[in-house]
Amino acid sequence: MTRSSGWPGAVGVAARGWGWRYATRRAWAVRGVDLDVAPGERVLLLGSSGSGKSTLLAGLAGLLDPGEGADDGTGEEEGSLHLDGVPARVARRRAVAGGAARTGLLLQDPLAQTVLARCGDDVAFGLENHAVPTVEIWPRVEAAMRGVAFPYPTAHPTDQLSGGERQRLALAGVIALRPGLLLLDEPSAMLDEPGTRMLREQVAAVLAATGATCVLVEHRLAGWIDLVDRVVVLDRTGGIAADGPPVTVFAAHGAALAAGGVWVPGHEPWRGAGPPRTPPATAPPGDGEMLLQARGLTATRRARARAGLPPVVAGIDVTVAAGRALCVLGDNGTGKSTLALTLAGLERPVAGEVVAGPRLAAGLRSPSPHRWRPRELVSRIGTVFQDPEHQIVATTVAAEIAVGPRRAGVPAADVEARVEELLGRMRLEHVARANPFTLSGGEQRRLSVAAVLAARPRVLVLDEPTFGQDARTWDALVALLRELIAAGHGVVAVTHDAPLAGVLGDAVLRLGSEHPDRGREEPRVGAA
Amino acid sequence: MSTTVPGRRAGAPRLSAVHLAALAAGVLAGLLVWRIGLPDVHVWDTTLTALTVPTALTVGAGAGVVVIAVTSHRAWRVVDMTVAAVLAVAGGLFLWGMNAAWLPLTTPIGKVYPPLPALLNGVWILPGVLTGLIVRKPGAALFGETVAGAVEALTGGLWGFTSLYYGIVEGLGVELVFALLLYRRYGPVAAMAAGAGGGVALSVLDLTFYFTDYPAGQKLAYVLLSVLSCIVIAGLGGWALARALAATGALAPLSSGRAAQRV
Amino acid sequence: MTGALDRGVDAAAYAARANPVAKLAVGLSIAVAMVLSLDPVTAGTALLLEVVALPWCGLSPVALARRSWVALVAALAAGVGTALFGSGDPQAAAAVTARILAVTLPGVVLLATTDPTDLADALAQVLRLPHRFVLAALAATRLLGVLSDEWAVLGLARRARGLGGGGPLGRLRDHLGRILALLVVAVRRATVLATAMEARGFGAATRRTWARPSRLHPSDAVVAGYGLLVAVAATAAGVAAGTWHLVLT
Repeated sequence: MTRSSGWPGAVGVAARGWGWRYATRRAWAVRGVDLDVAPGERVLLLGSSGSGKSTLLAGLAGLLDPGEGADDGTGEEEGSLHLDGVPARVARRRAVAGGAARTGLLLQDPLAQTVLARCGDDVAFGLENHAVPTVEIWPRVEAAMRGVAFPYPTAHPTDQLSGGERQRLALAGVIALRPGLLLLDEPSAMLDEPGTRMLREQVAAVLAATGATCVLVEHRLAGWIDLVDRVVVLDRTGGIAADGPPVTVFAAHGAALAAGGVWVPGHEPWRGAGPPRTPPATAPPGDGEMLLQARGLTATRRARARAGLPPVVAGIDVTVAAGRALCVLGDNGTGKSTLALTLAGLERPVAGEVVAGPRLAAGLRSPSPHRWRPRELVSRIGTVFQDPEHQIVATTVAAEIAVGPRRAGVPAADVEARVEELLGRMRLEHVARANPFTLSGGEQRRLSVAAVLAARPRVLVLDEPTFGQDARTWDALVALLRELIAAGHGVVAVTHDAPLAGVLGDAVLRLGSEHPDRGREEPRVGAA
Repeated sequence: MSTTVPGRRAGAPRLSAVHLAALAAGVLAGLLVWRIGLPDVHVWDTTLTALTVPTALTVGAGAGVVVIAVTSHRAWRVVDMTVAAVLAVAGGLFLWGMNAAWLPLTTPIGKVYPPLPALLNGVWILPGVLTGLIVRKPGAALFGETVAGAVEALTGGLWGFTSLYYGIVEGLGVELVFALLLYRRYGPVAAMAAGAGGGVALSVLDLTFYFTDYPAGQKLAYVLLSVLSCIVIAGLGGWALARALAATGALAPLSSGRAAQRV
Repeated sequence: MTGALDRGVDAAAYAARANPVAKLAVGLSIAVAMVLSLDPVTAGTALLLEVVALPWCGLSPVALARRSWVALVAALAAGVGTALFGSGDPQAAAAVTARILAVTLPGVVLLATTDPTDLADALAQVLRLPHRFVLAALAATRLLGVLSDEWAVLGLARRARGLGGGGPLGRLRDHLGRILALLVVAVRRATVLATAMEARGFGAATRRTWARPSRLHPSDAVVAGYGLLVAVAATAAGVAAGTWHLVLT
């Protein structure tokens, strides 16, 4: 991509005592920000979760509107936030009227930011809103799609794209508008490794070609660090905690940032996790006993089968044993989740079988988990879904944990005791009465694990348990899983997180990276 | 969640100049249609004037809604539009599902007493009431019910494109109630009233187009049962659903979420 | 909802190619005729004229059956119901069945042969409906494909939590919980979508251009005219046969 003659210059940012509070919140989302970013500078914005990084990006994009009356706007603003000397909100309005955007914003959730059904239309959407003349739209759409090396034609349907491809399409939609300031809000948080790598390369190419200013928010820093020339750390209590070149900032604040959950290179949690798990000196109870076995298993999702698509995984032979962990690795679209759901007795095998060991199936009519009744399943095989929100069934955190044991027929007093214990263990006491949907991502993840453990299943199946989690939650999860394994549970972890497999894995099953049906991703979700 | 609107808008809506203007406009428009009447064109053996009363009511309600909506100064944000649209389209799919269940559900109870199936009519109004309660902008209920009706028609619902006409008129019935409350009241009582508004619109349509041969007593029963059903299923049900949604924090970017307490 | 154009649909067929607004006009005209009278001749004539036009609509019989089975089943059930339990009059039964089929067929054809994007373009450009609302509704239809996948996942997740099974009341409760969870996800997605749309300039200005101009062509008049013809001819046939009777009186 060559620098287009029509590309306006890079944008400079100036914030003075800037802050924003959402109308539904008592606390300020972000406050006391004094920041100057020179045109062409590339800034990595860091801070623990809840420090207001996304709010600052939305402010820069001109999307925060205090409105006119107390009841009108979405929040309250203080201080000033200027782009090239003009308030960000005004800059956005002028840009739309003038036909070229000043800022471009790329968000985290790939599924929610695709607007239209065809790739070309989606890229053209911004140009239409900026009232670019119809004759200019399509050449610019095609140039933008070439600019991110997008592999499909304009008529390609967007619902067949993988997460990584969706993010690149969204990037094309942003650069078609030729913004002087690129705002990236955790763009790779929900992508697998190949998708992240590809997106990173395209962002680097776009920045090199346009010379645009860039403000990036990202948790997993590896790879992105080389792109930026400055790191700014927001303080949770307001203002800026650190500001400088990456090397200086990480040398001075690396450990503190890592403790706050940021994935700082050189401070990853697995460095403190000790050597990979080795069989312990004292064998866990029932060590090695077969709990669950798949024989010649072919599996698919009901929706896929109905659509006439071929199964995603075939011919799998695998054993889940007490006191052992089985890690299933593979990129998105290789059928990892499908395999997990079938092992967990939630989907019916297409061919082959899943059978439970004699002790796990004791007292039941069938050894096949998919035939068990829900209340029989819950105390035998626990499943932790990738998106914790999918599992929520109650209106308070405490009630949520109680659901499983109650369904399994545990006496009320025991249920109470289990809830208390798990609330403490998972650091959830402070939100015990809160609605589970209002919890933060890390809290929701801990709750989803607690709710499953409450029914005391011997087998635990986890689908991408570390997906999108910060370093602190990652560390806590790993510690818990190791403890469960030592206590004689069988654990199946489906993941594309190689370090997780590294510290857990007794056995690793790697599913082929050949996409049986490229593009059509598993219904994978995760609102942050 | 507190269901009253906080701050300076607290207090019961009083009869204001806006109400009077809306009322005047509605009555005037309705009267105008009624006086002029639909043309006495004999479509073969019947005159179109038979449609005058429903048309006058619809036009009158529409005029009232327009006056209040225009004067209420509550502009739609983009997030209001996308949320309203998602709720409406989901509502349309729900209606489509009801289509499949409708005849098996209603045929047996209709044999007991013909107007009895009206007890289920509340489900048809639910999308409009829910969208109105959650989005809280002028036209939200009308938009929600109309788009839901359109989706129902397009997905091969039993009643084809008549669902679209029904959606518009039912949406107007719900919208009129929210408008008369000046888009300030969204509590359980307001929700039930909105459901009743939709129920009246729905039963007038049904009696005009489907159940013309009912004796007067059955017609009255049909209206009462429909309105009751709409009050309970659409009104109370919609309110409970909106409240449960607000409790999850998902509505924070909308006025209905902002009306909830600060956390 | 998305990917409406699939197997068995020939998008290049004469009526399939027409502007969506013209196809909409067909459906609305026929619906008016069908609502005014319930009699076998009117409904039957309309249905016959629709079926005659089917070869130009680009729908294979299989595709048609797959998309209209709900109406088909309901139409037959309603007809049988009327014949057995209702008036017992075979004419009335035929009228009920034919009316449901005649009134739903145009909608089935419109949905099968029209990309939602083109429909939205036509509504905003040809009918001049407020474009912000039309585009928001369009974006929402795209989210629905995602939501139907999530509906399935929610079902699995609830089984994993030990829910489901039990009596009809328990199942109703379970369904309500599932609907609520789906609505939460839907509203969250709609919120992010709004941010993504605004970030690309949506809703900031009243003026906007269109990458896909939607215009009316003479052939659209033919399609819309045929719809009107079906409505008028069906009514005329009913009157001529003496079965037409305005339901309002």
